[in-house]
Amino acid sequence: MSSSRPDAGGAAVLGAAAPSAPAARAGARTRRRPSGPGAAPYLQAAPLALVLLLFLVLPLLVTAAVSLWDYTEFTLVPDATLRNYREMFEGCLSGGACGTLRTYLSTLRLCALTLAVTLPLGFAVAYFLAFHVRSDGARTALFLVCTAPFLTSNVIRMISWIPLLGREGVVNRTLLGVGAVERPLDWLLYSEFAVVLAFVHLYTLFVVVPVFNSLMRIDLRLIEAARDAGASSPQILLHVVLPLAKPGLAIGAIFVGTLVMGDFVTVGVMGGQQIASVGKAIQTHAAYLQFPAAAAQSVVLLAVVLMMIAALTRLVDVRREL
Amino acid sequence: MEFAAVTKRFGVAAGAAAVDALDLRIPAGAYCCLLGPSGCGKTTTLRMLAGHEAPTEGDIVLDGANVTDLPPARRGTAMMFQSYALFPHLSALDNAAFGLRMRGAGKAERRARAREMLALVHMEAFENRLPAQLSGGQQQRVALARALVTNPSALLLDEPLSALDPFLRGRVRAELKRLNRELGITFVHVTHSQDEALALADLVVLMRAGRIEQQGTPEDVFDRPRTAFAARFMGGHNVFPDAGGGGRVAVRSDLTRLAPPGSPGALDAVVRAVEYTGTGFALTLAGAGTDELTVLQDETERRAHPAAPGDRVGLTWAEADARRLAAD
Amino acid sequence: MADRMVVEAGRGVTRRGALLGGAAAAAGALAAPAVHAQGPVTLRFVGTAVNQHQGIKDKVKEDLGVNLEYIAVTSDDVVRRAVTQPNSFDLMDLEFWMARRVVPTGNLVGLDTKRIKLADEITPALTRGEVGGRKLGSQGLAPWKILYMEGREAKGFAAKQTEWMTIIPTVYNADTLGIRPDRISRPIESWAELLNPEFRGRASILNVPAIGIMDAAMAVEASGRHKYADKGNMTRQEIDLTMAALTEAKRAGQFRAFWRDFNESVNLMASGEVVIQSMWSPAVTKVRSMGVPCVYQPLKEGYRAWAQGMGVPKTTTGRRLDAAYEFINWFLSGWAGAFLNRQGYYSAVLSTAQKHMEPYEWAFWMEGKPAERDIRAPDGTVMEKAGAVRDGGSFEQRMGSVACWNAVMDENDYMVRRWNEFIAA
Repeated sequence: MSSSRPDAGGAAVLGAAAPSAPAARAGARTRRRPSGPGAAPYLQAAPLALVLLLFLVLPLLVTAAVSLWDYTEFTLVPDATLRNYREMFEGCLSGGACGTLRTYLSTLRLCALTLAVTLPLGFAVAYFLAFHVRSDGARTALFLVCTAPFLTSNVIRMISWIPLLGREGVVNRTLLGVGAVERPLDWLLYSEFAVVLAFVHLYTLFVVVPVFNSLMRIDLRLIEAARDAGASSPQILLHVVLPLAKPGLAIGAIFVGTLVMGDFVTVGVMGGQQIASVGKAIQTHAAYLQFPAAAAQSVVLLAVVLMMIAALTRLVDVRREL
Repeated sequence: MEFAAVTKRFGVAAGAAAVDALDLRIPAGAYCCLLGPSGCGKTTTLRMLAGHEAPTEGDIVLDGANVTDLPPARRGTAMMFQSYALFPHLSALDNAAFGLRMRGAGKAERRARAREMLALVHMEAFENRLPAQLSGGQQQRVALARALVTNPSALLLDEPLSALDPFLRGRVRAELKRLNRELGITFVHVTHSQDEALALADLVVLMRAGRIEQQGTPEDVFDRPRTAFAARFMGGHNVFPDAGGGGRVAVRSDLTRLAPPGSPGALDAVVRAVEYTGTGFALTLAGAGTDELTVLQDETERRAHPAAPGDRVGLTWAEADARRLAAD
Repeated sequence: MADRMVVEAGRGVTRRGALLGGAAAAAGALAAPAVHAQGPVTLRFVGTAVNQHQGIKDKVKEDLGVNLEYIAVTSDDVVRRAVTQPNSFDLMDLEFWMARRVVPTGNLVGLDTKRIKLADEITPALTRGEVGGRKLGSQGLAPWKILYMEGREAKGFAAKQTEWMTIIPTVYNADTLGIRPDRISRPIESWAELLNPEFRGRASILNVPAIGIMDAAMAVEASGRHKYADKGNMTRQEIDLTMAALTEAKRAGQFRAFWRDFNESVNLMASGEVVIQSMWSPAVTKVRSMGVPCVYQPLKEGYRAWAQGMGVPKTTTGRRLDAAYEFINWFLSGWAGAFLNRQGYYSAVLSTAQKHMEPYEWAFWMEGKPAERDIRAPDGTVMEKAGAVRDGGSFEQRMGSVACWNAVMDENDYMVRRWNEFIAA
C-alpha cells in the first residue's frame, strides 16, 4: 500500500488541473500547491484569450495570408506573391504621387483635420461636464445629449445634411437672404469640410468620454495648489489641467484616428464619393472580388494605424489611465 | 496677521457657522498652531487665511493690509496641502519652480531658485524625480520647497505631519522649527495633535466648534487650561469637582498624589491599571464619576504608595496645583 | 431555412394527414417522391432590394403557394454571394454582366428551356439583339452573347442557341442621362454634355466603376476624343485615356458628387445639387413624383442598356428546383411583366404583360403615346398626369437606340485600380 503512494502523488502533480484527483492526500497536496498559483491565472485568462485568438488574431492572419494570394476575375489562387503590394505601390517609386500614396495622404489629412477639431471641442465639453456641472443627474443628462447623433441611422443622418448644407439648403438660403454671399457656397456639402463636419458631429463623443474620465481623476487640490502658487485660470488650464488630461486626449485621438482611418461610408456620402479614403479603396476591391488586393490594402492600413497608435503611446503613457 | 470677527457659513441656509466670529492676532514671524478636534473650524480658518475660502463676514488683515477679497497669490501667503498636492506630471524641480513659472520668471532664474529651495529641504539630489517616485516624506519636502519658492511672508501648513510615520514626524518637526527660525516668516500650522502644537508653537490656538477656546504660549495653554475641554484636549490633566466652590478644577497627572483611602480631603478612587513607563509608573483610576483619571508616579512616590489594580485609594493634590476651570 | 419552413409547415397537420405524409414518404423511398404532399416550398431569393416587391411576393403566394423569402443585398454583394456562398440561396436575380463573373465558378447551372414555357417568346431584343428589325448596339456584354450554355453544368457560354439558358431574362432597360430642364434652359442632345464645363460643379456619375467608366466612355466618344472598339471591354490604353478625361474633369470641379445607390441619385437631383447625371429610370420618376422637373433625356449616341434575369445555383434541387421553374414560368406569364412595365422597366415577354395591362397603360409605356389618363404606379401613386409622354418615346425608339450594354471588362482588375486612383485624384 505504501509503495503505491509516490505514484499517486506523481500523478496528481502531472494532473494539477484536475483538483478532484483521487490522490488528494496530504503528501500529494503539499507537492501540488506550487503549481496552482502558476496555472490559475492562465486558466482564468484562457476564455478571453481564446475569443481574441479566434475572432481577432486568426482573421488577421488569414487577411495577411490572403494578401499574398493571386487572383483572377473569378478565383482566388493560393500563392505567395507580392503582386498585390506591387500593384498597390505601382508608380510610387517612379516619382510623383501614386494613387495609393495620394489616398493615404487624403485619409491622413481628413484624420488630422478631424482631430484638430474634435480634440479641442471634446476637451471643452469634457471640461464643462467635469468642472462646471455639479450634479450627477445633470451630468448624466448632458452625456445622453452627447449621444444624440447616434440615435438615428447613419444613412438618415447623412442624408439630412443635404437640406441643411446643400446648394439650395437652409444655410445657403439664409446666407443669400441676409446678403452675406452673392452665390451659394458649394464647399458646404460634398467637400472635405462636409466630411470633417460629419466626423466631428459623430466622433467628438469619443474624445469627451476619455477626457472626462481623465479630468474627473484630477485632485481638485492640485488646482487649488496651482492657484495658491499664483497661477491664473488660463495658466492652470495650460500647466495643470491640460497635461493631466493628456492620457484622455491620447485615448480619444486613438479612437477618432482609427475610426476615421477605416471609414468609407461617411467619406463617401459627405464627400460626394469624390474624396479618396483607404476604406473606400478596400471596399471597391472587395466589391469586385479582388479579395487579395483588398487584403493587402488592409494589411498596409493596419500597419499605418498601428504606427499612429505607437507614436501616440510614446507621447503619453496611456496604460496609466487604464 | 489678524482676523476680525471672521465668520464662515457653508451652504445657503444660515446654519451653524464653521467659524464663528473669530478674532485672532498672530505676531509676525511667530509659529502659530491652530489646534482642535476635527470639525472645529481650524482648517477653514487656514483656508480663509490662504484665500481658498471667502469669509461670510469679517475681515482678514495681513501686514496691515485688508486681504479679505484678494486672491491667494496676492496675499503673500503660501499653503502646503495636507496630501501635498504635488503636480504628478512635473519633476521635483519643476514642482518647486511652479510658482515662479506662473509669475513669468525665466527658466534659468526659476530653476536656480528652485534648486536653492530644494537644497533648503535637502532634496537637491531628487530634482528629476516625479512625485510618484518619491516617498511621503520626500514629497512633503518638495511641497515645502514649492511653497517657499515665492518668498511668502506666511507659510500655511494643513496637517503637514499627519501622513508621516512617528519617526519621520519628529525629524520634520525639527525641520519646520528650523525653517521658521531661519526664514523669519510666520508659520500657521493646523493640527489635531497637541504634542505637535506644544513642540512647535510659539502661539497655540485651541479651537472648538468654530470658536477659540483658549490661546497662549504652549506652557500657558497646557499648564493653565481655562476649561475642562482644554484640560482634557491638551491631556495630562485630571478634572475633579472643586471641593470648595461648585465648579471644577484641573490638576496635572504628575501632580496628583495617592493617599490612603478615606484620608481627609482626598477623593476616593479605585486603581484600574498600572503601567510601567520607564521613567515612572502610570496609574489609571476610576472615581469622581469618571474612569479617566491618571496618576503619574515617579519611583519615590511609587515606593510610598505601591497601589495595585483593584486597590481603593485616595487622591490628593496641593491647592497651588489646582486650576479652577471656567464653565464650558 | 427552407428545410426549417417545411418542417414547421408539417407540424400543424392532423393525425390522418401525418399518417398520409408518412405513407407518402415511405412510398417516396421506393418510387419518385410525391412532391406536393409536403406543404409549401420556400424559395430564398437573393437580389437587390429595388426588384424585391411585396406585391410580387404576395401574388406568388396566392398563385403558386410558394413562399418567396427575399434576401436583399447590394449589387456588389450579388456577385460576392453567388461566388462565395452559393448554398445560401435557391434563386438569384442578377444582371448579365454579373452572370458572366459567376458562371465560370460553376456555381450557377444552366436552366432547361424545355421547362420554360415562354422561352421562345422572350423578346428578340435580348435573344438576338433586334428590335423591330433594327440591330442593337452590341458593345459591352450584350445578353445574347452569353444567354446560352453548352450544358447544365458548363462553366462557359455557348456561341449559338442551345437548350440551356444562363439566366432567364426578366427585366431590362435603356439608361441615359437625367437632367433638370428647369435649370438647363437649352436642349441636351449628347452624352458629351456630361463633361461640358458649362455644368461645372453640377454633374454627377455613378461610382460603380464598371458602369461609371462606360458612361464616361459615352461622353468621351461623343466629344470626339476617342472612338472605342468596345466601350464594355477597353484596352489598358483606353482605360487610361478614359480615366485621364475623368480625372481632368474632376480636378476642374466638374462633378458635384458621385452616387452609389438609387436614393443618392434621387437626392442629388431633387435637391438641385446636380442638374445632369447618369441615372436610372425609376429614379427619374421618383424625382418627378416629388414635384421636381426631371427628364430622362434621350441622346443621339444612344442608350447604355442593361438586362437582368433569374439564375439558379447548383445546390437547388428536387422540390425547390421544381418550385424555382414554376416561379420563373409564372414570372414570364404576364402579371409580373405588367408590374415591371408599369414602373418604366421592360419585361422579358411583352405579349403576356400586355394582357395584364390596360390599353392606355400599354400605349403610354410601350408605344410612346400621350397618356389618356393619369398613369399610376403599381402601388397606386400617380406617376404621370394625363397628357404626358414617356421620355424617349416607344419601346422601339428607346431599345432600338441602345449603343452598349453594362459589362465587366477583361481588364477589370486594372480598371478598378485606376478607378481607385481617380477617386484619389
